[in-house]
Amino acid sequence: MTDLRPAPEVDDQPAIPVPDATFGVCDWLRWAWRQLTSMRIALILLFLLALGSVPGSMLPQEGTNAAGVAQYYKSHPTLAPLLNHLGMFNVFGAPWFAAIYLLLFASLVGCVVPRTFKLAGSARTLPPRAPRNIGRLPHSATYATSLPPGPALEVSAGMLGGHGFRMRHSGDGERWISAEKGYLREAGNLLFHLSLLGILVSIALGGLFGYKADKLLVAGATFTDTQSDLDEIYPGRLVTDSDFAPFSIKLDSFSASYVQSGPQLGQPSAFNADVSYTTSPGAPVKTDDIQVNSPLSIDGAKVYLIGHGYAPIFKVTSASGQPEYNQAQPFIAGTSGDFLSQGVVKVPDATPEGLGFSGVFVPTAAVSPDGTLESVFPAAANPRVSLIAYGGNLGMNSGPTQSVYELDMAGLKQLAAQPHVLSQGQTWKLPDGKGSITFVGYQQWASFAITHDPGQLPALICGMGALGGLLLSFLVRRRRVFVRVAAAPSGSGSVVRFGGLARTDASGGFEAEFASLAAELRAAHEQQAPQQETGD
Amino acid sequence: MPVNLALGHVSTDFLIAALMIYSLAVLAFAGDFAFGRPKRGAEASRTQVRARAGALATVGASGSPSADSGTAGGGDASVPTSMPPVPLSPLRAIMAAGPWVRAGMALSSAGVLAHAIAVVTRGLAVHRAPWGNMYEFITALTCFAAIFFLWVMVRYRAWALGVFVMGAVVVILGLAETLIYTAAGTLVPALQSYWLSIHVTAMTVATGVFFVAAALGVIYLVVDRYNRRVAAGKAQGGNGIIARLPSLEQLDRLAYRTVVFGFPVWTFGVIAGAIWADEAWGRYWGWDPVETWAFITWVVYAAFLHARATAGWRGRRAHYVQILGFVTLAFNIMVVQVFITGMHSYAGVG
Repeated sequence: MTDLRPAPEVDDQPAIPVPDATFGVCDWLRWAWRQLTSMRIALILLFLLALGSVPGSMLPQEGTNAAGVAQYYKSHPTLAPLLNHLGMFNVFGAPWFAAIYLLLFASLVGCVVPRTFKLAGSARTLPPRAPRNIGRLPHSATYATSLPPGPALEVSAGMLGGHGFRMRHSGDGERWISAEKGYLREAGNLLFHLSLLGILVSIALGGLFGYKADKLLVAGATFTDTQSDLDEIYPGRLVTDSDFAPFSIKLDSFSASYVQSGPQLGQPSAFNADVSYTTSPGAPVKTDDIQVNSPLSIDGAKVYLIGHGYAPIFKVTSASGQPEYNQAQPFIAGTSGDFLSQGVVKVPDATPEGLGFSGVFVPTAAVSPDGTLESVFPAAANPRVSLIAYGGNLGMNSGPTQSVYELDMAGLKQLAAQPHVLSQGQTWKLPDGKGSITFVGYQQWASFAITHDPGQLPALICGMGALGGLLLSFLVRRRRVFVRVAAAPSGSGSVVRFGGLARTDASGGFEAEFASLAAELRAAHEQQAPQQETGD
Repeated sequence: MPVNLALGHVSTDFLIAALMIYSLAVLAFAGDFAFGRPKRGAEASRTQVRARAGALATVGASGSPSADSGTAGGGDASVPTSMPPVPLSPLRAIMAAGPWVRAGMALSSAGVLAHAIAVVTRGLAVHRAPWGNMYEFITALTCFAAIFFLWVMVRYRAWALGVFVMGAVVVILGLAETLIYTAAGTLVPALQSYWLSIHVTAMTVATGVFFVAAALGVIYLVVDRYNRRVAAGKAQGGNGIIARLPSLEQLDRLAYRTVVFGFPVWTFGVIAGAIWADEAWGRYWGWDPVETWAFITWVVYAAFLHARATAGWRGRRAHYVQILGFVTLAFNIMVVQVFITGMHSYAGVG
């Protein structure tokens, strides 16, 4: 008996031949391809993909948490190099991870392409002949009507056609109709899988032609979106200088608000970075308020507020009274939320010797019972700095480029045994007449991420396509119904047998649909029947 | 706008009321197990079986249970008519299921109502979608799970599952209430976005749905194990509890359809999250630990959907996969969001 069910889902492929000694290169290739495109291998690859992602969430990753990786190296000196060798600190860029998803997508293509042809084919071929015994179908109905068989079949065809079923009619001598509906199900399935491929391509597009950069700006400062003016740049492989938009942004002011009381004391409630910007040199200046969830779109790039902190302003004078340094220096806060921030001040040209300070900025200072300075609130209500002074050679004219947040201690000597605490406006005269440092005040700084990702829109479109395809493949059911009309045994009127089945019914409901179709068919027959009845 | 503390207390009171009513509902469902009419177990399998039986009866040309003699059309009276059965209305089905089920359903509905009021008043108290921290998230997701499960129970007449699924809801809600209660408060700037309502709503709904699917999967495995033990002669057949549960085939179909409902919602939630991440953090996907685990969950449920179409993976193995999917989801909520530092560290626990 022919299979009446609509096109099989995926699995019912013929068995893959077992390799044996007679296998040539082509046989082996065909065997490997068929293995790869089998559902079983796709399943295994899916599991591998899930399993392979786990270390990426458990171990610090270079892309998102470089400091965490460095910390891991310190605490696990023997294990870390081994893990690094396995790509465990860059899982999602690792060759083995790429191998899993590329194999998965190859498997997907090998599965999807033949199905596309199959769908195109089945859209052109007619449904199979109606079965002889409709009562054996999962859903069926039988009733008698006074319509003669010919008109009864015509009424049935009209009703099924009105519901958009594709029909196949019997030839002479038999009276049946096969009808099928729900081709969109397969189409949705294909759309879903192709959209996943599209997302992969979009990500690759962003990786090749996009860039991401960071910039820290103290209030009042300006930057231009050029490779030389940005702090850190992560360009795509095919990014050139001309891909950077020629805009510039000035941070006019930054403000952070915090919850002032209650159990959430000190939790931030709003961040606002007021900026003025120009899209190109000489263009009119516009202003914007960049917030965490409200980036600035500018010339194909987006500027995000990603961090903030304090930049205490120091004035340093040499022993002779000559001012050597007067600027705001960004300090970096830890993760504790109290904005206890650390940083350094470098004055290499002070006389008689270079001066360096490592300091802690405390926005709202309080002295703890054990006598240490602590921060009790993240806003700068009572700012203090605690400084340790060093004299000597800061090593800035030789050796590798220094971080602006660290001192090179090699040529430095501590000038005073104890750290010195200053409040706003206070000056510390350094021992041995080495000069002085004044804590003038503070500025706030904000850090921005500048990104340009040409794969963004394609990825969004593909994401929507995937979702749409998924819904189609779950909500649409591929189903077939059959009508057979026979002359009634008594000689007048006919017997209608109506049956149906759904190959896949993911979200359920064919049973109810069939019941309503059957009721509608019967009603259609009964509506036509009275004219016949009068003739009886 | 400041937090409305009085409304926050109203929310907490309703939640405690919901918890108590749910507990009574679980007792009622348990009472159905203990004292209800046992024959109803078969009634739940009404759906396809009866339709097929009717059809077969027609083929046999003898009297059929749902037969009526076709007279209206003036057709041949000697031809027995069989039409597919029209399902009983939900309310009548509940009434027909016995006093314990009636009590369980009434209490569950009242509990869901109180639960929903608790969630809504919490949202009104804090002027935002009420799922900004772990406590609120679990409160909301159990509410969605309870609503969805009530629908499943009515839709498929699966009364016998009430005690298990509502029992799990009570346990989780009770733990949330006692262990991670968080007073109503404002959100950090990163969460102040309308995407909170879209992304987290989808994730919350999908989690509630997957929770129901996992509960059905566990029941499937229990019944399957019992059946295999009986077949192997290691256990005696005729266990009263098992007999009342839906058949393996029905449990399988119920769980599958539940996942089919949850999977697109989860997919939508992940996409909405990606759009929000692009708006807030400057990239739509960054392998943040929570993103990674949402991806893992998605992949595992995708594997479940494929496993059902793969020879050798249907049935028990597929349900292991599905339950594994929920384990990855629960791990994400309870471990990754709480203990692993990432950009999603908003749980506010501890």
